[in-house]
Amino acid sequence: MLFIELIAQGLIQGSIYALVALGLTLVYGLLRILHVAHAGLFTLGGYIGVLVCNASGSLALGFLCAALVSGFGGVMMFRLAYQPLLTQPPYVALIASIGLFIASEEAFRIIFGAQGMSFLDPPLQQQIVMGAGLQFKLAELLVMLSTSVIIGVLAWLQSRTRVGIACQATVSDPQMAESFGISLRKVRDINFFVGSALAGFAGVWVALLNNLVEPTMGSVTSYKALAIIVLGGLGSVPGTLAAALLLGVIESFGTIYLGDILDRNAIAFAFLIAVLMVRPQGLFAKS
Amino acid sequence: MTSRKPQFRMLMAATAAVTFAASSAWADVKIGFNVPLTGFAAADGKSALNGAKLAVAKANAAGGVAGQKIELVVYDDQASPKEAVPSATKMVEKDEVVGAVSGSYSGSTRAAASVFQRAQVPYVVAYAIHPDITLAGDYMFRVSAMGEVQGRGGAKLVQNLGKKNVVLVTLKNDFGQALAAGFKEAAPKLGVNIINEYEYGMPDRQFGPLVSKIKADNPEVIYASGYFFTAGPLVSQIRAAGITVPIIGQEGYDSDKFIEIAGAASEGTLITTSLDRDSDAPATKAFLADYRKATNEGADMVAAASYTATKVLIEGLTKTGGKGGAALRDAIAAGTYDMPIGQLSFNDLHEVKKDIQVQVIKDKAFRRHSVISDPVLLAPPTKAK
Amino acid sequence: MNYEISLLTTMAIAVMFALSLNLITGFCGQISLGHAAFQGVGAYTAAMLGHAGWSFLATLPIAMLFAGALGVIVGLASLRVRADFLAITTMGVGFLFVGIVRQQEFFGGELGLSSMPDHGFGRFGFMLLALFMCVLTAALSIYIKRSWMGRVFNGIAEDEDTMRVLGIDVPRYKLAAFAIGTALAGLSGSFYAYHINFIGPDSFGFVESITVLSMVVFGGIGSVPGVIIAAALLAVLPAWFQVIGDYKLLVYGGLLFLMMRFSPGGMAGLAKRFIKPEAVAKKEQA
Repeated sequence: MLFIELIAQGLIQGSIYALVALGLTLVYGLLRILHVAHAGLFTLGGYIGVLVCNASGSLALGFLCAALVSGFGGVMMFRLAYQPLLTQPPYVALIASIGLFIASEEAFRIIFGAQGMSFLDPPLQQQIVMGAGLQFKLAELLVMLSTSVIIGVLAWLQSRTRVGIACQATVSDPQMAESFGISLRKVRDINFFVGSALAGFAGVWVALLNNLVEPTMGSVTSYKALAIIVLGGLGSVPGTLAAALLLGVIESFGTIYLGDILDRNAIAFAFLIAVLMVRPQGLFAKS
Repeated sequence: MTSRKPQFRMLMAATAAVTFAASSAWADVKIGFNVPLTGFAAADGKSALNGAKLAVAKANAAGGVAGQKIELVVYDDQASPKEAVPSATKMVEKDEVVGAVSGSYSGSTRAAASVFQRAQVPYVVAYAIHPDITLAGDYMFRVSAMGEVQGRGGAKLVQNLGKKNVVLVTLKNDFGQALAAGFKEAAPKLGVNIINEYEYGMPDRQFGPLVSKIKADNPEVIYASGYFFTAGPLVSQIRAAGITVPIIGQEGYDSDKFIEIAGAASEGTLITTSLDRDSDAPATKAFLADYRKATNEGADMVAAASYTATKVLIEGLTKTGGKGGAALRDAIAAGTYDMPIGQLSFNDLHEVKKDIQVQVIKDKAFRRHSVISDPVLLAPPTKAK
Repeated sequence: MNYEISLLTTMAIAVMFALSLNLITGFCGQISLGHAAFQGVGAYTAAMLGHAGWSFLATLPIAMLFAGALGVIVGLASLRVRADFLAITTMGVGFLFVGIVRQQEFFGGELGLSSMPDHGFGRFGFMLLALFMCVLTAALSIYIKRSWMGRVFNGIAEDEDTMRVLGIDVPRYKLAAFAIGTALAGLSGSFYAYHINFIGPDSFGFVESITVLSMVVFGGIGSVPGVIIAAALLAVLPAWFQVIGDYKLLVYGGLLFLMMRFSPGGMAGLAKRFIKPEAVAKKEQA
């Protein structure tokens, strides 16, 4: 019973990680850039979601606005920060991203205050009892559901539609893709938009689960998301989802049973390092 | 035109003379204040700064110290020892403060403490509860109960509630661990049985696995340490899982933000703290009203403690006429104080002896529940230790 | 004077730390996002030995040894993974270090270690010692850069595969870079512990690793004078920035971003553009 609960908690947490990591893996797959500032879009989504929901009373509108604002924010980041730096060695984009991230956390603190923001009347808090003593908040069930749906749709899009295939081609061989008439810029814009919108979406979910949005809420999630994209195999949507859920579950059990030896965040990285030593290309990479 | 010039110049000179004379009469008495204004602890820093500023403003409105205005020299230490040391050094060397107040966490306060002790500048600590701080030397003072003392109070509260089996949820930092240590020390003597203890880290907000495990343990009471940004989500998630037993928190919960985050789940949460919102004590009532007027927010423990620490230093300065050093240290040590957080006096280790207020959240506000007044149990450590 | 002495000591320690990373990341091209862990190993070693009665100077070689040993282990890990993964693996090492240290009472746990015994040099003497070590580190960096080893490092940074084809034992050189760089980080850690007089798990976390990396990149990756200046400046910036107060981290992040965006070669890159504009123009044309 505890066992099942721990797994469920792991999947809930894993869903959040998946939503955030997806954007990262799309960007990395495309551009080989570790887009640390992605976490800032996650936080931004959280703030927008809470603000809009508090102002309008509609959670759906909050989700929509969060996704849109984060999505466009991501595209802007690409255009302003990364595109000009594509010809530079990778650490340049990394440090630029870190600078952006630090600045964004501070901007949130200065604009919205250090104390964080909460829903006036948190939605989706109803208890769903599932028998055998299992009880969840509606929000917890929905985050798992929506994540699977979204990622399923994305995976389908990637392999079945023209846009999706264009994206894949751009990842494998940008020059070849370009010669086929695929607009690299458009593909990159789309990838950034989708990935960032997902992060914003995830931010609202976290706000629902904790009823707290803080300027620094992106940091820890982003570090783990970086570990996840490595585990999952770069650019692989199903791989990232699997790695995210797996990490969520491992963390769930690890916090209870390994808590004396390792702190929670360290568990994620211990797992990562262990895997990389055995399989340097990541768990699900198509080597 | 030329005839006006000399008179103009004389007027300027006279104005300058008057200004200079006036400013030297108003040479400021400087108090140093280190506080986390940026970084992870910025939320508490804001409250602390408000509390200290209120104390200074009130003192200045009443004429300052020995006819001089008090100036609060504020340094952002980001709750980091790395930043606190140069800040403290600057306060001592450049600003030449006569005394200092810590509005920051234990790590940074500890680091700054050695600087102030070496410079023989009295340092009054608001809410950092690490034992080593007062051990840095006799120029250190602390106005809040140490973690261990509060922890013991927590165990007593469990006994007062008539409960036996407890699960401990401990925040992994000096604050949480000190509380847990005190609780664990007193528990066996009070017939309290600790079923299990779980730890979590500062950045954690999702406690799913922890809550599941607690449910499986089935305790009668949960004693959970944390700050509002961890306790809010924690309590909310505990209640959401269907666990209805009483939850006891501490000063870290003591903020309206906790109620805001946890919402309905916060009802009935008990906390051991130093600020009694329902207090009849005039010092407390006045402080709560003044703070709300000045900031438009409700005061929390951090603000009250910082206000108290600053006021203690100011009262000491009033006795020494604005002078620092050994005279100020002795004046502070000898004083008794009527503060928003209670009647205070210092023991030989410059720790305070006072009661613990127990508040309960009713109708989304902190209300008085009880007071734990057990001088033996709550005795802070002394130099003899 | 005490304030200035304290500031100079802080600068010297930061420069030592940044130069040590410059060796690994700048010279040899291995991106490390967990370098603070090695400073931490040095700091904890020096602190614990100090508490056990060792003199400050005696703790230095041991601190360097432990830090370097851990560096070799991490270096071995770096051999297995691709460059892109290395960054994240090193980040993981950093988190592991912090995670383990905070859980063990042996290392002081959450509360950390404080009250180092008196190093006996006095403030001014300690500062001189730190500056001396800093100068030695800089001299060593320049020496390595100009030596055969430095040229191999550079080759590895530019094009690892070609170096392998040329018959260079790339793994051995990478390990050497890690060993030297991390040992020097350990050295800076010992000074840090005695200077701040307080170390805890949060003293050597991800933020600190990022900070030192940004010092290196800001200065101009691989450039010894650039890194020295950048580290000295960025180390004391918060103290000077008290004026800006609330906005200082915002400015810091913004500066990092702008520097990368407009002068990826860091300050050294900027300097080159002013001093030798023709050479830069030629390089950009090539």
